[in-house]
Amino acid sequence: MTYLLITFQALVVLLSAPLVVGMVRTLKARFQNRQGPSIFLPYVSMLSLLRKEMTITKHSSWVFRVVPFVVLGSAFFLALVVPSLFFGIVPSSLDNIFLFGAVVALGSVFLVLGGMDTGSTFGNMGSSREMTLAALVEPAFYVSLATLALATGAWGMGGIIGHFTSLPWLVAVPPVIVTLIGFLFVLLAENARYPVDNPATHLELTMVHEAMILEYSGTYLAMLEYASAIKLTALLAVCMGILIPFGISAPPVTFFGLGVALIAFFGKLALGAFAIAFIESVIVKMRFYRMQEYMMLAFFIALLGLAVELIVLYH
Amino acid sequence: MHLMSSFTIDCLFAVAFVLPLVGVVLSLLTRRFSWNNTLVQSIFILSGFAGLIAGSYFFALLGIGNSASFNATFFGLVNIALNSMQVFFLMLVYGGVLLTSLYAIQSLPPYKDVYVLPTLNVASAFFIVGMQATILSPSLFTFLMAWEIMSVSAYFLVIADRSDESLRAGWLYFVMTHIGFACIAAGLLLLAGGNLFASWHDVALSALSATPLAISVAFVLLFAGFGSKAGLVPLHQWLPYAHPQAPSGSSALLSGVMLKVALFGFIQGVALFPFVPSFSAFLVIGIGLLSAFFGALRAAVENDAKRVLAWSSIENMGLIFSAVGIYLLVHGSPDSAVSAIAPSIALFIILHTVNHFIFKTGLFMAVGAVASKTHTRNLDELGGLAQRWPIFAGIFLALSLAAAALPPFGTFFGEWTYFQTLASGMTVSALFGGSFALILALLALVGGLALFAYVRMFSAIFLGRARTTHAEQVSPMPILLWLPPLSSVLLSITAGLFLFPILSAPNAFTEGMTLFGDVAVLGGASMNAWWVLLSVLSIGVLLMVFRRFLSNRNPARITDTWDCGQPITPRMQYTATGFSAPIRFFFKSILMSEKELIIEPISMSNPWIVRRRLVWSIQSFFEYWLYRPIGIAVFAVSHAVKKLQNGVIQLYLLLVICALVLTLATTL
Repeated sequence: MTYLLITFQALVVLLSAPLVVGMVRTLKARFQNRQGPSIFLPYVSMLSLLRKEMTITKHSSWVFRVVPFVVLGSAFFLALVVPSLFFGIVPSSLDNIFLFGAVVALGSVFLVLGGMDTGSTFGNMGSSREMTLAALVEPAFYVSLATLALATGAWGMGGIIGHFTSLPWLVAVPPVIVTLIGFLFVLLAENARYPVDNPATHLELTMVHEAMILEYSGTYLAMLEYASAIKLTALLAVCMGILIPFGISAPPVTFFGLGVALIAFFGKLALGAFAIAFIESVIVKMRFYRMQEYMMLAFFIALLGLAVELIVLYH
Repeated sequence: MHLMSSFTIDCLFAVAFVLPLVGVVLSLLTRRFSWNNTLVQSIFILSGFAGLIAGSYFFALLGIGNSASFNATFFGLVNIALNSMQVFFLMLVYGGVLLTSLYAIQSLPPYKDVYVLPTLNVASAFFIVGMQATILSPSLFTFLMAWEIMSVSAYFLVIADRSDESLRAGWLYFVMTHIGFACIAAGLLLLAGGNLFASWHDVALSALSATPLAISVAFVLLFAGFGSKAGLVPLHQWLPYAHPQAPSGSSALLSGVMLKVALFGFIQGVALFPFVPSFSAFLVIGIGLLSAFFGALRAAVENDAKRVLAWSSIENMGLIFSAVGIYLLVHGSPDSAVSAIAPSIALFIILHTVNHFIFKTGLFMAVGAVASKTHTRNLDELGGLAQRWPIFAGIFLALSLAAAALPPFGTFFGEWTYFQTLASGMTVSALFGGSFALILALLALVGGLALFAYVRMFSAIFLGRARTTHAEQVSPMPILLWLPPLSSVLLSITAGLFLFPILSAPNAFTEGMTLFGDVAVLGGASMNAWWVLLSVLSIGVLLMVFRRFLSNRNPARITDTWDCGQPITPRMQYTATGFSAPIRFFFKSILMSEKELIIEPISMSNPWIVRRRLVWSIQSFFEYWLYRPIGIAVFAVSHAVKKLQNGVIQLYLLLVICALVLTLATTL
């Protein structure tokens, strides 16, 4: 039964991932007074990419072909352990916070290797930038995860979210608001959103993520785009699950509970997508060589969150 | 039965100890024959093998608890009580010897014009014996002797190719190691009350009556001495120069094993203290973290492949020492909540010692193999080797991921233990909460930089297109050059699967715990290497199936890299230098990196015709702010003293008389 629930939960995240990307794109278009594409467009484009012929550069090795599998695999793992509908079903050794962080890093590392294995400056530049960002975002990421764990007394993602569902909103959530802001910084950096990266262009001045996957086509491109959609959805689900823990429940699961959880989950994703589209519409992208400021800010906010949490703990 | 098996262990340890010396004799006797190197390396391999069996037998027989002890008699010649810590470090030595000697059979002969192989092997033999003797030493005097044998033979390994660069590096090493030796000797003698021939037991006894001041001074001296050998900042200066100059197999031993012997020396030395001074834990934590950060940062911007590994050794030893510092802080605390941190920290220290040994030995050998085939260690000149050596690239990639502490390799589980312990330890008290939070943040940054360094190194060597003809036309890799690194990869996975659960609960296996159970550390957080590996494998299989059935199954079309309609050359790729440009920029003030555009006019008549060159440099922070001022001060003093040395004989006579009068006045 537990395995069935895990599979169902992972499937929901996997199936809704392109939808989140579609919602962000459409909402962003609306903010810019454009009609925008249908929110279901990413499904169509990914499926059509799957059917297309692949071209692979002759200057690449087997690493280039392995990259999509590892990146998508790490995204699958995130979808598996993030408590989007239920908590307390994933084994505690698999949803541990530091394992979560390491799997995110593993995905970034392989994306970087893919960009390096092309013999093209575009990919190399994206890789260099992505690796720098991935390295410098670690402190903020780990500190905010540790703070959440400390605030809830649980060391797994499931336990953390479970804690927030069990307490009244006013008691559980406000102390970790600062940490959530830090986590939002991490989320934007990890998912190549504004102000770190521009997901919409292939312009060499702005690009990080799109530069790395420039040489990929067909199935592999679909896999990589799908992976980044899943990663965005998973991190968003964590963020929203903490902010609005409503609907997430522990087994035993009733049909009514399941329905509530599903509706709540999609509502939260829509809210999250709106938030990201809003952020991307009101701020500009930062110059890459000012990223140290962004990372320092993220780190200090995360550390401030931890300090607040320690003060709450000892007073 | 028990008598019989203890006799076996005894014999095997003796064989492991003596065989390298047999190797010395044979190496010198057969130096004219072409099979000389193979013979000597085989003897080393036998020695390592015997030692590993002896060690495994020891643990199988006595368990892995702290109390296990064994009297090694070496056929009645001596009587050394071996404890499990000594055997543990001995096994690292034997493992290292086994792997690197296997590697040296094929890696050394191509260099027979560069190195004098018989002499090199003699130095290696003394090095191996010296490390073993250091660990086995039952008394202060033998320890110092063995330490000196180890250090001096390491010097000969460093200068093996007799190039100017090696001689300079060797000289730096020689001076630094003897400063360290002086510190160690002084510290231990201070504890022993001046008795040079005291056994460890006597040293501990006489330390009981030492004054607190003497204890503090002795601690600082020992930390400086062992720390300089372990490459801790700011006494690390020699390490990035010396380790890469040795032949690759020896570099692997120097970085993978000798640093652990320094760690062993420090732990053994600290165990002699009746109490550790209160500042000591903070000193060790601080220096450890500084080393970890600085090592990782320099590893991320270094261009010499072997030097990247050397800096990374500084980083990893820093991590281990910071954990040792935390152990000193929490161990034996009257508060049970505080002292409960100790076992988890100890687990990290042991795991990371093993893991660093595994991946660093493997990486040094792998980089050595690359260098011997491409004739360069410069990351900017390499590239594209994954197309030539697909399997070897896989091995190197796995080792790099292990070094970057990513799952599913053993290093990840070690570092997970550390992170988790720090995070759980924050709940103990406000003081621990604050300090552990900062340590955790710094460790995450160090982890990120290490990730950067290893990804950069792997992609610079193996990915993209080859930049030189050497790299383009490399010959296939001989089996003994890739087999030892492959063993390191397998060992690294094994360390997570077996060592991690076993060491986490040394005595629990008699009570029905299995290898496949969760490993719980402080605070109840748990981890399971088997689950992680299983999910990695099952997700991999799942994706393969999807790929097979869901997507277009036509073979991919092989094309050129997208080039905007203009042919691109290998020179247009990012170099390793370019790759790390953001890191150099972000950490400019710490790295003291400078970039300068030099403009030289070519034609006098036309100011627009100029030659432009871009030069950039990284300066050592500690060399600039610590070593240089000391050097300037020493020179200033010697200039001042020069006034006394003016060559007038009357002045010298006057000085002699003054000295005599002064001596008499003080003694009478």
